[in-house]
Amino acid sequence: MLESYLTWLMEELATAGSSLLDLRKRVSLWYLLSAVGFAFVVFYWRYGKHGWQRLLPYVSPKVWLSRSSRTDVGLWLCNRLLLALLIPKTLTHALWISGLYYYWQKQGLTPLGLGWSTTWVMVLFTFCYVIADDFSRFFTHWCLHKVPMLWAFHQVHHSALVLTPFTVFRTHPVEGVLFFMRSLCVQSVMVSVFLVLFPNQVSLWQIYGVLVTTFLFNVLGANLRHSMVVLSYGPRIEKWLISPAQHQIHHSTDVAHYDRNFGVLLAIWDRLFKTWLPGNDQQTLKFGTGRAIDRTGVIGHWWIPMMDCADVIRHGVAKRCRNLKKRLTIREP
Amino acid sequence: MKKTLLSLLVACSTSAMAAQSYEFGVTLQGYDGSATSSVSYGGQIARHALHNSLKKVAGKGDQAQMNTYLSSTEAGRVILDPVSKDGFPVKQSKIDELSSGKDLLSSAYDGVITGWPGNPTGQELLEQLVDAAAKTKAGYDPVNGYDYVQLISKFAMGAVFYNKAVNHYLEEKLEADQHPNNEAYKPGTAYTGKEHVWDEAFGYFGAPANGLSLSAKEVVQITKQNPEVFAKADANGDGVVDLKSEMAFAHAYYAASVDASAGTNYFHTIMQAFVDGRQLISDAKGKALTDAQRTELKEYAAVIATAWQQVIAEAAFKYAGSVYADLEKIAVIEEAHGDVSKAYRNYVKHWGELKGFALALEAAGRDLGNAQAGLDRLIGFSPVLFGDAQVVALDGKGGFVQANAGPMQEYKLNMIKVQNLLAQSFALEAKLNDKTAGMSDVLEQLNAAAQSAEND
Repeated sequence: MLESYLTWLMEELATAGSSLLDLRKRVSLWYLLSAVGFAFVVFYWRYGKHGWQRLLPYVSPKVWLSRSSRTDVGLWLCNRLLLALLIPKTLTHALWISGLYYYWQKQGLTPLGLGWSTTWVMVLFTFCYVIADDFSRFFTHWCLHKVPMLWAFHQVHHSALVLTPFTVFRTHPVEGVLFFMRSLCVQSVMVSVFLVLFPNQVSLWQIYGVLVTTFLFNVLGANLRHSMVVLSYGPRIEKWLISPAQHQIHHSTDVAHYDRNFGVLLAIWDRLFKTWLPGNDQQTLKFGTGRAIDRTGVIGHWWIPMMDCADVIRHGVAKRCRNLKKRLTIREP
Repeated sequence: MKKTLLSLLVACSTSAMAAQSYEFGVTLQGYDGSATSSVSYGGQIARHALHNSLKKVAGKGDQAQMNTYLSSTEAGRVILDPVSKDGFPVKQSKIDELSSGKDLLSSAYDGVITGWPGNPTGQELLEQLVDAAAKTKAGYDPVNGYDYVQLISKFAMGAVFYNKAVNHYLEEKLEADQHPNNEAYKPGTAYTGKEHVWDEAFGYFGAPANGLSLSAKEVVQITKQNPEVFAKADANGDGVVDLKSEMAFAHAYYAASVDASAGTNYFHTIMQAFVDGRQLISDAKGKALTDAQRTELKEYAAVIATAWQQVIAEAAFKYAGSVYADLEKIAVIEEAHGDVSKAYRNYVKHWGELKGFALALEAAGRDLGNAQAGLDRLIGFSPVLFGDAQVVALDGKGGFVQANAGPMQEYKLNMIKVQNLLAQSFALEAKLNDKTAGMSDVLEQLNAAAQSAEND
């Protein structure tokens, strides 16, 4: 029993560790290095031979060895073990997609029969999938900030006092389950619809086994979003793509920056929802929530959100009771 | 320069020596008999002939005849299939000419089969199927939706051939203390322990010895005894096809059949691994295999076991697609108020093939993980019948109990799920009769099982 548990534990941790070489993971060493290369080129172009100094925070031991950074890594590994138990490993997506694929056909959806080549179908599917996926990420993120019960869990991500690429894993397990469900919904709908419309032609445009946009996003410095390196794409590009500097604004403690820049890849959703703010290379920001959770470890980051969520529910119930009482009192003659 | 030329010559001569046919000389040290070949798998070919003959008699529903080919070891049994045809004569006509005293049942899997009501062992299930077939007309039970000819044949191939080869000869028998290579398999034999163990596994695969020089299409046609491929089949040119070494049986046929339709390479992958493994044993020249040699041999065995399992899963995948198509046809005919009896017969036949192959996957003691429970539940104990019923259990007397299973046409969704499950669990390549529109390929790309909780 103990032996099989230890085997499972080691396997899960080894799999987590393998992310460092897995091109499908943002924290792959290749992307960690490519982010430096990308930023180096941009800074050299903008600031000349001293531009590289702006990259120093990326490798600062003070940042990487801080308690906040250690909590990032702790949450990454501990969440991995917990989610391995919470989220079914295989076939969930296959079952949902199978069910929906069958349902659409029953509802009368049939192949379009346009005679398009498989390459065109791949391009169209990849485009639609990326748009749907990016919007769903934006909207989930927006909800995590706007719905108090969800913010109770999302505060974990915002409690980081310093940002490192591993802050991407700074997440409450409940939020991890939400992300899984988001991906399940988007993938099930997109894949099932396209399979009916273009049978045997659906595939994603990939580079080295990675979705083309994810690959480019990661190669071109996605890891800088969660880092102390401030890099703006400039006002024109930032209207369309979220830059590292814009995401850092999202983490800022400044009240003026609250609930801004929810987007992942595209900035258009923030513009539509009036939450868009541009970034710039000179911005100086402080990070964190300003609450006690900022200075706790893994257990605190698992526990405090549960308590906060319970508080939100308790207050919600109490408020409803008060309103009901008030209404009943008014109705009494 | 001289060294380079020498090494080139050595490389050329080595590759020339590498076997292209499953024929190997005697290596047993101290052997003083007259045999020149160390290859022997007559007992396995006898069981192939028993299986083929059993399939023939299962369609007649005569229990005594079925038992003759399933469990009896009596002498004088006639081979009912394959038999000589115009333009395709075969050498043997009696089981004893291949090997005497052989039966199918005692070699069948004796572990539990979870996919059949009552959780019988593989051996019990074969007996039950034969008993039940004897109570039907021509092996067809329209009330419960069973085609016993298909169920018996497809399951027997897995429970006997696949099981004995993969679960027995290519597994435990490869250990150092089992039939060592520096001893005769039995006193008086011309072959060593390990040579014969490997040969027995090869015999169960059912490929002709010259399989590497045949195309997949030719292998298929040999099984079908097409006179056009007779010259290819009759490798030694003696004017008859020797069932012992020149015929294609069972999973070798299915592997070639999948390859011929889909352009995959299962047959030659398995065949090459068998030949390479046997060459390795021959190269040991009658000495005990070293640990390194056995490790390499086990790698060939793993290639064979994986591809063999894939062949069975590919067959199940194909028939899940056929069941789906049959249900579509039934719906169309019903809507037009036509006669569905022929379409229903095909539906039951294809379901029998699907179920037989799915049960075969369970019949070799290999851990199928979630796939086993998934296949059992999705396929069920019978097809969904008219009236939306399905067999769900056995009663106290061994009769089938039916219950409502939801609309018959909804069973199509189960077939889609079965195809996805098979494609994902066994990394299938051919995926014939795919009714999922290529879903498993997209799922693979999406890497749906990603576990990390990543923020944005």
